[in-house]
Amino acid sequence: MGKLTPADLDNMNKNSSGNAKDWIKVGMSSCGIAAGADEVFNFFVEEVSKRNLQIEIKRCGCAGMCYAEPLVEVSVEGLPSVTYGAVTKEVATKILEKHVISKMLVNDYIFDIDLDSQG
Amino acid sequence: MYAKVVLVKDTDLKREDRTREFYTRLLDCLRETNLHSQIQVVRVADIGIYDRGLVIKILPDKVTYANVQDTDIKRIVEALSEEKVVEELVFKPKAKQYRLVLRNCGKIDPENIDEYISNGGYLSLKKAVTELGQQKLIDEIKASGIRGRGGAGYPTWMKWNFAREVASDQKFVICNADEGDPGAYMDRSVLEGDPHSVIEGLAIAAFATGASKGYFYVRAEYPLAVERIEKAISQAYDYGLLGKDILGSSFSLDIEIRLGAGAFVCGEETALISSIEGKRGTPHPRPPYPSVKGLWGKPTVINNVETLANIPVIVSRGGKWFAQIGTQTSKGTKVFAVTGKVKNSGLVEIAMGASLRDIVIDICGGTLSGKPIKAVQTGGPSGGVIPERLLDTPVDYENLQKLGSIMGSGGMIVIDDEDCMVDIPKFYLGFCVEESCGKCAPCRIGGFQMLNYLKKISEGKGKPEDLGQLRRIAQAMQKASLCGLGQTASNPVLSTLKYFEEEYNEHILNKRCPAGKCSSLVTYSIISEKCKRCGLCFNNCPVKAISGDKEQGYSIAQDKCVKCGQCFEVCKFKAIDKK
Repeated sequence: MGKLTPADLDNMNKNSSGNAKDWIKVGMSSCGIAAGADEVFNFFVEEVSKRNLQIEIKRCGCAGMCYAEPLVEVSVEGLPSVTYGAVTKEVATKILEKHVISKMLVNDYIFDIDLDSQG
Repeated sequence: MYAKVVLVKDTDLKREDRTREFYTRLLDCLRETNLHSQIQVVRVADIGIYDRGLVIKILPDKVTYANVQDTDIKRIVEALSEEKVVEELVFKPKAKQYRLVLRNCGKIDPENIDEYISNGGYLSLKKAVTELGQQKLIDEIKASGIRGRGGAGYPTWMKWNFAREVASDQKFVICNADEGDPGAYMDRSVLEGDPHSVIEGLAIAAFATGASKGYFYVRAEYPLAVERIEKAISQAYDYGLLGKDILGSSFSLDIEIRLGAGAFVCGEETALISSIEGKRGTPHPRPPYPSVKGLWGKPTVINNVETLANIPVIVSRGGKWFAQIGTQTSKGTKVFAVTGKVKNSGLVEIAMGASLRDIVIDICGGTLSGKPIKAVQTGGPSGGVIPERLLDTPVDYENLQKLGSIMGSGGMIVIDDEDCMVDIPKFYLGFCVEESCGKCAPCRIGGFQMLNYLKKISEGKGKPEDLGQLRRIAQAMQKASLCGLGQTASNPVLSTLKYFEEEYNEHILNKRCPAGKCSSLVTYSIISEKCKRCGLCFNNCPVKAISGDKEQGYSIAQDKCVKCGQCFEVCKFKAIDKK
């Protein structure tokens, strides 16, 4: 895309809403990567293509809960979006099999910190 | 598919975790009422609430119950089936986190400008350039009351206004990302998680002041942050959000990255300017302030990363809206990097005016060991310690200063009773002595002398009159040092002397370190009544200071002991005495 005009910016902002596709976000800042987020990210990408799942794997920064890295947020239609902490390959497998495929939240790994912005 | 989700977690610290037990009970109760196919019960690792007994959260209703007893389960299930709420069990958190600076961190892909734009990104730049104009923009920033987040708390609008009022053929804006306080990494997280917000803030600052050239001054120790800013800058150029005639206006801005080589003093603005100019990073006396005469003698605005990340929010939501958050003198939010002996280390963004207790206990869950907090250190090497009894103080620039500490850039280190109040200032002062540029005598010599006194005290060679001497040098440094580094380097010593003088006296008079941290003052010995003669200490001693055998028992030769504490760590029977 070339140089934007003010109207382009408004359009790009408006057109983004209503994007309800399923996704998994992996926190990939220094703290996440140090805790092994790279490996988890690659694992998700491989497994999703192997199992032919319709879910997008995305990267994001650190949400602030550095003690629980690697953090993985999962949003699947019909379930509240939740964040799993201290995710390993084993936990990632559970997330795919239970959360993404069977549509049930996984026990024992959710870090539910309310970080909604206010105002 | 389940209609509702119930999250459960036992947050009681004093008993064994009963999460599983409650989970089963709740499931049984749901089965009895035939709700188990509509409601999923989930055990969670962390529910964001601490020491409030059993906590239950219901989604998507967002109802939270705390201190739930076994006897409450039935009525909670009943309420669930009738779509009602058990009012008397509802928990309303006192301390809530905000997400202004960290609004996109953990939400968007930092390497994708489209995601930033679809979350409202660059609309504030558009608003500034096409609607507000310079004067109204600065008025908004003034109304917001935002003050510099780098530590000193200077009103941002004043810096901008000074620079704007000076007539000059060239002006500069600089983003100060030379974050150097031990334990502080807020800026790194923002740069790694949402680099475009800082670029947008810097572009708005450039527009407000009439600058056409901007710099990111980033530490070379932040390679990922540098990589992401680089990418973000090039994406912004591609979209015409940087470069010539931005968004079709006459405003142009070029931004470059400059890497700092890791000198702490280069976070000080005049030293930072020298460093960008290619000179040795040493500070200069102010005035003239950089806003008037800065980089290459031209008006220059230097803002911290967090300040700049706030700017797009202020422009889009208005200065008045922003000024509702916070206290009388300190507006908005502050991001703290909470580390040390804390359960949940990480970033916390709270409204100014929240208490230290809200941050370290309610949000971060207290200490990792469950031991009481002794103090909290804020402001890094320029700050001080705040004892436990003052943790209810609302956090803002003025209050922390009154207590002998500073807001600083946002490092917050939790200290428990295993930390020594002579050792901590010794660490910080050692840091400042190493990082002192050596240009002015009070900082170069004063810091060195103070450190010598602290070393003497921690080795048990201190004298009572040393404390007076420490205070005297500290005052001289505060008054006579050239820049902020030297002026504030003595704060950790002064504040520990203020609140924990008895600990200094223990070291000096009784030759004892109450925390057991100062190795010269600690002796290890074996309590023969408790010793089971397992030989673990004998095998683990790295200097063979432990002699004996399984028949006769063991003893420690004090002249050989290096006080590493290995024997104390490995003993399973608490038979090693540490004094």
